[in-house]
Amino acid sequence: MSRFTGLIPLALVRPFNALGGLLLLVAAMLPWATFLLNDGPFPEKSTLQYFDAPFELTGFRWHLLVFGVVALVTTFVPLRGKDRVLRALGWGGLVIGLVCGYFIAENGGGFGAITAADGASAFGSVVAVLGGLLLILGSMAKPLDEIPEWPTSLFGLTGMAARLEAYAYLIVAFAGVLWLVTQTLTAGGIGGAAFPYAGPIFLAFLGFAGGLLGALHGIGLTRWVSHLSEKHRAFSIIVLLACAFLLPFPFTGAGSQYWMQVAAVIGVYAATAIGLNIVVGLAGLLDLGYVAFMGIGAFVAANLSGAVASQVGLDLPFPVAALIAAVIAGIFGAIVGSPTLRVRGDYLAIVTLAFGEIFTRAAQNNIGELTGGASAIPGVPQVTMFGTAFNEKITLFGAELPSGVLYYFMIVLVVGAIMAVFANLKNSRMGRAWIAIREDEDAARAMGIRTGKAKILAFLVGAMLAGLAGAIFVHKLGTASYDSFKFLESVTLLAAVILGGMGTIPGAVLGASLLFVLPEKLREFDDFRLFFFGLALVFIMRFRPQGLVPDRHRRAELAGETAEGKPIETEEEQAVLEHEERGHAGPSAPKEDRA
Amino acid sequence: MTALLEVDDLSVAYGAIEAVRSVSFVVEEGQIVCLIGANGAGKTTTLRTISGLLRPRAGDIRFDGKSIAKEPAHVILSRGVAHSPEGRRVFARMSVEENLLLGAYTRKDEAGVRTDMNRVYELFPVLGERKQQKAGLFSGGEQQMLAIGRAMMSKPRLLMLDEPSMGLSPIMTQLIFDTIKELQQQGTTILLVEQNALAALALSDRGYVVDLGQTTLEGPGHDLLADERVRAAYLGQ
Repeated sequence: MSRFTGLIPLALVRPFNALGGLLLLVAAMLPWATFLLNDGPFPEKSTLQYFDAPFELTGFRWHLLVFGVVALVTTFVPLRGKDRVLRALGWGGLVIGLVCGYFIAENGGGFGAITAADGASAFGSVVAVLGGLLLILGSMAKPLDEIPEWPTSLFGLTGMAARLEAYAYLIVAFAGVLWLVTQTLTAGGIGGAAFPYAGPIFLAFLGFAGGLLGALHGIGLTRWVSHLSEKHRAFSIIVLLACAFLLPFPFTGAGSQYWMQVAAVIGVYAATAIGLNIVVGLAGLLDLGYVAFMGIGAFVAANLSGAVASQVGLDLPFPVAALIAAVIAGIFGAIVGSPTLRVRGDYLAIVTLAFGEIFTRAAQNNIGELTGGASAIPGVPQVTMFGTAFNEKITLFGAELPSGVLYYFMIVLVVGAIMAVFANLKNSRMGRAWIAIREDEDAARAMGIRTGKAKILAFLVGAMLAGLAGAIFVHKLGTASYDSFKFLESVTLLAAVILGGMGTIPGAVLGASLLFVLPEKLREFDDFRLFFFGLALVFIMRFRPQGLVPDRHRRAELAGETAEGKPIETEEEQAVLEHEERGHAGPSAPKEDRA
Repeated sequence: MTALLEVDDLSVAYGAIEAVRSVSFVVEEGQIVCLIGANGAGKTTTLRTISGLLRPRAGDIRFDGKSIAKEPAHVILSRGVAHSPEGRRVFARMSVEENLLLGAYTRKDEAGVRTDMNRVYELFPVLGERKQQKAGLFSGGEQQMLAIGRAMMSKPRLLMLDEPSMGLSPIMTQLIFDTIKELQQQGTTILLVEQNALAALALSDRGYVVDLGQTTLEGPGHDLLADERVRAAYLGQ
């Protein structure tokens, strides 16, 4: 229940929603800029001068049209959870209107650009903002509906038939995910001189994607799909892998060298983030120097790869080099992890922070002649397997795939394998022990968990995954430089884990994708991009502190929700949770029992 | 009767502060033995030392005739000493079932674990009804049941309970004490630490009074109940 509940009378809900939907619809068909901006016409023919086809909608204008139509239909049909749908559509429309409007106004030198100037008028963005606001207001009359639950089989099937039905839904759902991923990756184009409006168009697309997902969540669809995919986990993983493999093919629109490059880098960071998630998310050990393990893996692999600048003089095949890199990173992980036996919490964070810094400085100063110092180790050869260098174009099933696609495939496989490892670890005896240590280390010891061993093992496994990711990273990049493994990277990885949701796989992957795509996508805003980035983090932490894909253990703690998703109602329940937080330190205040 | 646990002139210190100076007592197989005493007398420290969470400075702890004073916590647990710590300390954000599985962490026999889990659910039906719920959402008494059940999951020969009645209503306290009696009848030896001396002594075969880190008085539960000094110091009479 939000504090705005009851802001508008119930009688106004339907008029507000209808008008809001209508305004979004109208906004889509209006021109958006009164005159030609200096950088060229604003996309989707939305500049008045080029406004020759109001009904031939593309891009953000098409998205608004869809939102408007859906909002109008939803207003007048009975649908469970419809107020959530309308609210999400409203936010989506508002974001699209604000982002494009702000950008046009800012570039055009004033509000004339988005209202009326020189006898010309173009009210598109203003109308879209109004429509969005009306829809949001419309959801504030009464508390939001419960998100509806859907039956596992919509046709009441059982056994094999139900299974096939679920498979069909999952294929459709993942195809949708593939489409959304492709669209998000390519939204706004590459940026730079050829695409001057990449930044706002991408942000506007995020508004669309957010509104869409919010609406689907509102009617219970996303929850239902995640329930189905949990039930048919093996099948989901296969479909998900298949979708990932389809991404580079020409029909998706992401099949260019540039997007493969971006996707492969995201993959590397996603793999690293999953590794960090074991250390931080599962075992609860705050590691601020994690990227150093990725760096160790990278330098080991570079030195063993036969690069001219390498001092080792070995030229090992990539799988062997990557394995050695992972093992050495793991050994360092265990070494850094061993102080965890003595220090806890903040002190551990400082130890790891110091380790990360020692690593960067040592690499910068070329200690042991293994890192190349400031001149790095250039010329790390491309991975070559079966006679094909991984940066070549390949032809698969008659389709020509862009160069770099093999790295992408490799990283997809690696991320898939790491996901499988993580999922098994989490549900294993070891995983339970890690979670228990995170929750209450003393109680964990009383259960007979060897906490020292478990903590070192968490560090070791996490560091190995980072080392492996580093080995791939360095081959793809062709250079191993200390510059890639600085403190900021550790922080970004940690932010990815926390943002995505501690202790969950999709969370880590999503977090890594967002944090490493956003800066790439927001190049347009130059100096402002870190500002936007920070702002986005602050907002997410304020409104969704449990992360985008929360772990079920964390949900209760951070969202103020109980296991059944009900808000914590009594102070006693809160006290119970807090009591467990406090640990053993003070004498426990006796609490009255309810029984 | 044979002595299952013998604590012999135990001394434990946190740095320079000596919390336990000279504690000695014996728990015989099949008995309920309780340690009573004021706040800060060293009762909890004694239990934590027996279960290996703390190291003794001097003295010996023998379980089933063998010294466990220098063994790590997981070894002591697998020998058959389970510890339900003070303040319950259930894993609040894990489900009942996960809590119980963690109690059985040192065991490898999956079938046996399942059987014992069902036994816990029989003992405390409220846990069985809500096995997927987060432990943090249970009332204090229910959490105490879970803490006892979790300790029982290691199939202990000796169950050590630290202040099981702390913060509970009289009705819930009675229920917990009835359960302790039931566990004894099923063959588990129990070492109980309690501030609720009256109820604890009434239940126990033998009691020890711990004062300022030393065991000062001992005797059968009902004898101590009748002892003038105990009544004056701990029962407020």
